[in-house]
Amino acid sequence: MSEGKILPEIITPSNKEVIVVGEQLNGEIRPVTLELLGAGRDLASKLGGSLSCVLLGHKLEKLPQKLISYGADIVYVADDSILENYQTLPYRRVIVDFLSGFTLPPHIVLLGSTTCGRDLAPRIAAHFETGLTADCTELDIGPYEHTNKIDPEKVGLYPNCLYAIRPSFGESLKARILGPWKNPQMATVRPGIMLPLKPDENHKGEIKTIPVDLKPEDYRAELIEVVHEVSKSVNLTEADVIVAGGFGLGKQDGFELIKELASCFENVAIGASRKVVDIGWIPYPYQIGQTGKSVRPKVYIACGISGAIQHRVGMSKSGLIIAINKDPEAPIFKFAHHGIVGDLYQIIPELIKQFKSNIVKEEKPLVRQN
Amino acid sequence: MTQSSLKDIFVLIKQVPDQSAKAGINPDGTIDRAKAKRMLNPFDRYALQAALHTKKHYGGKVTAITMGPPAALEIILEALEHGVDCGYILSDKRLAASDTLATAYALHKVIKYIGHFDLIFCGLQTTDGDTAQVGPQIAERLSLPQTTYCEDFRIEENKVIAKRVVEGGYEWVKMEIPALITVANSYHHLEYKSFRGARMVQHLLRNEEEKNKYIKTITLDTIGAEPAKCGLRGSPTIVARTDKVSEIGGSCKIHQGASQEQLVSEIIQSTNIKEFLKL
Ligand SMILES: Cc1cc2nc3c(=O)[nH]c(=O)nc-3n(C[C@H](O)[C@H](O)[C@H](O)COP(=O)(O)OP(=O)(O)OC[C@H]3O[C@@H](n4cnc5c(N)ncnc54)[C@H](O)[C@@H]3O)c2cc1C
Ligand SMILES: Nc1ncnc2c1ncn2[C@@H]1O[C@H](COP(=O)(O)O)[C@@H](O)[C@H]1O
Repeated sequence: MSEGKILPEIITPSNKEVIVVGEQLNGEIRPVTLELLGAGRDLASKLGGSLSCVLLGHKLEKLPQKLISYGADIVYVADDSILENYQTLPYRRVIVDFLSGFTLPPHIVLLGSTTCGRDLAPRIAAHFETGLTADCTELDIGPYEHTNKIDPEKVGLYPNCLYAIRPSFGESLKARILGPWKNPQMATVRPGIMLPLKPDENHKGEIKTIPVDLKPEDYRAELIEVVHEVSKSVNLTEADVIVAGGFGLGKQDGFELIKELASCFENVAIGASRKVVDIGWIPYPYQIGQTGKSVRPKVYIACGISGAIQHRVGMSKSGLIIAINKDPEAPIFKFAHHGIVGDLYQIIPELIKQFKSNIVKEEKPLVRQN
Repeated sequence: MTQSSLKDIFVLIKQVPDQSAKAGINPDGTIDRAKAKRMLNPFDRYALQAALHTKKHYGGKVTAITMGPPAALEIILEALEHGVDCGYILSDKRLAASDTLATAYALHKVIKYIGHFDLIFCGLQTTDGDTAQVGPQIAERLSLPQTTYCEDFRIEENKVIAKRVVEGGYEWVKMEIPALITVANSYHHLEYKSFRGARMVQHLLRNEEEKNKYIKTITLDTIGAEPAKCGLRGSPTIVARTDKVSEIGGSCKIHQGASQEQLVSEIIQSTNIKEFLKL
């Protein structure tokens, strides 16, 4: 606190624009982009500025219009065959040139904390020597009083800072990270957390083309193969209950037990960790997590899954998380709601047994079981 | 196919607090670095393995680089035991409170100071910083092509062909050398320490002069880094506030130490799971 002394107000130059770096894949906007527009709309109104989205790709057709219906006031479009798929150096060049083109820098630049966003954002931030907060779960705008004497030129009251809020220290703490000295202030945001706006076909916006002007050094890397497994509809995103198996199953047959447990429930689906998908025990469409599906069932039962962050981001929003793991230190016990420490080969059959007796009990409540 | 051969392979490793050990973890969840147990960042084990594989298949010398307090010597010795050839420790009080931009600035100056390299390997992320930003920020400073989330690679005709894990699949990227790679934790596990490496470290620990030949401790002055771009002053971000997370983290009700009948009936009674059963 400043002992009653009034700190000088410091306004870091900006044009008050909030820019979302969009992502598209195979002619579809990635959900995280729409989520960022939802969050960005709120930041822009608190700042009294505008919200825009920059979209790179090829043959984008109706996509910019869609971004406008989801809240963008301006969509900047770079359309070129080399931008069809994400590639670090060409994307970096277009975004760096685009952001350099403003007389006053944008206030905030947001990216999804996806494998693309986390690849690109640090390069942009390092280029402009500006602050970047990784993998945020909340965003806000607010003032900040800097009284630290180490850097006397920075002391002052900064009125409109981006509050980039993220878990830290193994998710036991929430840190509010600020970078008010320089704009744009940047953050990557976890997919599946922010809420998109309801699309509004009447929302008016502008579409502007931006240049694609690559240099010879931007061709030092080349994308030679892209494999996107088209996931057939495994009803994971709509199920009320998901029973998921991990490497703790010990063998492919373990999924038989998972299926048997699942068969006790109504509107249920089976899920898996990446490790068991990688070793071929179950196909990719069942994978849950950062590089698989994001799910939000009412009940998630994790069997023999350690709870790595990449798995967690795909399921931590579930209503009730029950974990079965024989290691009491497994990270999954840090965020599950209920945990059973034990061997899944003993616990699951017992669960099935008690569920079944339960089912019978509910049907014939007056009959005694023996 | 021409035989590719490399000369210099760098691997960036960091010492982090061991968060599974209870020592040095304050009640508010923050870390008392002086008391905490220290360990090699688990993600950097995959980077080390990638660097050692590269050396095995394509030749070259592996240099481990770290920035941290003098205690970081421990992880350089560990790297040497695994077969790394030499190490650098950038240690300087003026680096305290560096964020990723300042860290990447300092580390890129170390890399420039050491000189020639073909490939730089980084871990995917650290368990304390947890940003996955330092690798790409170094690549930007050094103007290198990069592949992040890399879980496999080979070198052909003096280019790296790297497999990158992405949402819903993977891709292969062919990059000119020099390049930077951040290694995913789906890469191979770090193999056991080598007998030669362990002997070498024993030898160095007995002979200070020899040790200084293989492990160099350097400061900002050695590498000509601008102090204003390092530490708190050089960091565009600050942690303005931390709050303990109580809603999810730490609120798990653990059921253990009873018969399985007991554990399972506890779960059934303390949750609403029965509502979802098939009738
Ligand atoms: C770029 C990238 C993307 C990724 N994307 C994903 C993703 O989308 N989804 C994903 O899941 N992972 C993903 N991962 C991998 C992730 O980091 C973990 O490696 C993976 O989730 C681990 O799977 P697991 O929990 O099944 O296996 P393990 O980590 O091996 O855990 C097995 C668990 O089973 C327990 N166990 C063993 N035997 C028993 C028993 N008999 N009874 C009870 N418990 C037992 C063990 O204690 C252990 O905790 C990704 C990694 C990277 C680098
Ligand atoms: N102080 C450091 N010394 C050496 N390497 C580092 C340091 N900090 C980060 N790195 C490297 O950058 C990677 C990503 O770190 P981070 O951005 O902190 O998640 C790590 O896995 C290391 O390879």
